[in-house]
Amino acid sequence: MVGIGALGVVSAAGMGVASLKQALQQPHFQAPLGLSRPDGPPLPVVTCTGFDTKGILPPLVARRLDRPSRLLAVAAKEALAPWGPELPWPRDEVGVCAGTWNAGTDALVEILKAVFTAGPEEAPPMHFPNSVANAAASQLGILEKLGGPNLTFFEKQASGLRAIVEAARFLRSGRAQAMLACGVDEAQWLNAECFDRLRALRKPHRPGFPLGEGAAVLLLTPNPSPVVIAGTGAAALPTMPHRYPESPEALVAACHKALAQAGLAPAHVDLVVSLANGSPALSQLEEAALRKLLGSHRPAVVGSVVEKLGEGAFSSALRAAVAALVLGGEVKPQWPVPQHLQAHGFPSVAEVGQSPRTALVTAVAAGGACVAAVLAAS
Amino acid sequence: MFSVVVTGVGMVTALGLSREATWGALNSGKTGIRPLTLFDPTGYRSQLAAQVDTSALQLATIGEKARRHACRASLMALAAAEEALKQAGFDSVFGAPWPVIFGGGAAGLWEAEGFFAHRLTRGPQARGLTQFLEVPQDVVADRVALAWRLTGERTTITTACSSSALAVGVGAERIARGDAEVVLAGGADALCRLTFAGFNSLRAMDTEPAKPFDRRRQGLSLGEGAAVLVLEEENHARRRGATPLARVLGYGVTNDAFHMTQPEPTGSAWARTVRQALEAAQVAAEDVDYINAHGTATEQNDPAECAAYLQVFGERLARIPVSSVKGAIGHCLCAAGGIEAAITVLALYHGLLPPTANFQEPDPACPIDPIPNRARKQPVEVALSSSFAFGGNSAVLALGRA
Repeated sequence: MVGIGALGVVSAAGMGVASLKQALQQPHFQAPLGLSRPDGPPLPVVTCTGFDTKGILPPLVARRLDRPSRLLAVAAKEALAPWGPELPWPRDEVGVCAGTWNAGTDALVEILKAVFTAGPEEAPPMHFPNSVANAAASQLGILEKLGGPNLTFFEKQASGLRAIVEAARFLRSGRAQAMLACGVDEAQWLNAECFDRLRALRKPHRPGFPLGEGAAVLLLTPNPSPVVIAGTGAAALPTMPHRYPESPEALVAACHKALAQAGLAPAHVDLVVSLANGSPALSQLEEAALRKLLGSHRPAVVGSVVEKLGEGAFSSALRAAVAALVLGGEVKPQWPVPQHLQAHGFPSVAEVGQSPRTALVTAVAAGGACVAAVLAAS
Repeated sequence: MFSVVVTGVGMVTALGLSREATWGALNSGKTGIRPLTLFDPTGYRSQLAAQVDTSALQLATIGEKARRHACRASLMALAAAEEALKQAGFDSVFGAPWPVIFGGGAAGLWEAEGFFAHRLTRGPQARGLTQFLEVPQDVVADRVALAWRLTGERTTITTACSSSALAVGVGAERIARGDAEVVLAGGADALCRLTFAGFNSLRAMDTEPAKPFDRRRQGLSLGEGAAVLVLEEENHARRRGATPLARVLGYGVTNDAFHMTQPEPTGSAWARTVRQALEAAQVAAEDVDYINAHGTATEQNDPAECAAYLQVFGERLARIPVSSVKGAIGHCLCAAGGIEAAITVLALYHGLLPPTANFQEPDPACPIDPIPNRARKQPVEVALSSSFAFGGNSAVLALGRA
């Protein structure tokens, strides 16, 4: 058994799970878009504008952490808070699995800017440790003195859900007594500009996704919990690294594996947390996959998590957190069902009378890697 | 639990573009650390690196689509995967449901640095698109999966210098627990200005080729390369007549929760990783007869690593051969653990222990038998391959003779 013991979230909806729940209950919630660049117009990125470490991290600690590490540390503090300072597990038995798409980019840009404009000797040493993508997870390990497995996973926007899947594996194999499973990203202008050059970002004249930033943490334990991770699965359809797969078969296969591990049939799925991000190719893929997987069954859908809070590795972990909140009866999301699923008769949570007991959360990375998790109310 | 064997190894390093070329040069004490030509190293503390001539890579069976816009790291990984699959004796692997589990590194950062230089100095009008397509760390695994149309789950682990060692450990555990019959595990990393500037800023690079465990050591030499191991469930391998090269017995993974760039100096945190690997492998410390060390040749790493071994093996450590290949192939960062696991597999298979290149003066803080400069013929039953990384992410693989 892998139970979800607690959650921690920093998103554009605000700091903490309570802010996320509040946003989910507002049908027209939309985080503002806009990430400034030093020499160009702003880019369509959702940022955590109200994020502050004051009162959560000691100032001297916060100062030496880069932004992804701060985002993750604050979200993890919230997830660990219910246990107080004395965790019920030895800290050497508590691990971290984090997924990220862009952690380290800002440090990387600062180093390269120094190299290209002032020379290699001017590269600031303080930025180098943060240029590795595992910095946020490692800093969390150092901050909380967690000596268990500490791994960072990189599968583009699927990384956060991948981290949850792998954290569950570490628990099942007995390599840890508790795992912080996380997704984390930072808003960085050059990173966003690269997506804009690829014409992937949403603009008034073209469809696409808004990038985002934030951190979502699920504290996983083998203890009984109101919501559990009942099954996980993964598959891939080889595709060029910057393209979504054209066929839904790998996503369907990942879902089947997760459902089989959970001992459930597709008809048992009560809730789907949509992965749609505004990109037509991904919407088509999701629609085709769900129709193939579910046949005529139409579970409730939580829509627009990515469109409202931004795309990224963190948002695939955030979708799992949203599923856990809904299954735990903590929130009834009011966000509309995305048009591509609404057109095929998928209802919203508000339209379905019964409280959902099982949820399907999926993620697809450009390049073709697909991940799925089934969460269940126990 | 299922038994896991290695049936294929592919390797690309500065010593050679193939497994055999690397293995032969390594054991004769050669070093691949030479003047860097990939970019102008003026202004850096060291002008040396273990650089791979990727223009000479042979990619006989790789289709054009899988190579188009591929970065140097991806090309090295494709070559290593091709060689590993060939040794494993797989004739037709297209569409196989095998997981690809790699350690992620700098990927296409060197290619993207040209664009970044223009963008940061010339503003938003700077042109650029294809140069940064391969920046995401998982593109290397994407390329390998694309080349052979592999449909199994794809995982890229990024824990700095232990990334690809963990990929091997995690991949083996997938097989041991019955989740897969075959896994391609390993990783690739490529030189770039970022890592050169970063280690330069930390004053961690030697101006001469790195000298692991030597009293004169002054830091590391950066390297690049790739290794891919075909991991296979033993019965699956034997049924198809494949030759097991070695066994993956288990692995340890911990975090020292100490510092982002400095190792915990007493070695107790790393000793915990070693003990975890032994426990997972169900072997005693007395059974270990070779250690392929992390051995970066930095002032802090080598004594801390030896202190860890001393805590686990006691006075017997002096009689256990311990070598580092980083004086020969440089520190290949996220590919290092995979390459060193591949070398350890070959050591077990051939009964030949690779040397520590550039070793001259013993350091009292490193009380080990470093196999100086020439390989040693010695049968091995159980070997460890250690990787200790930025952020305290440690991994130790326990490997056994097949």
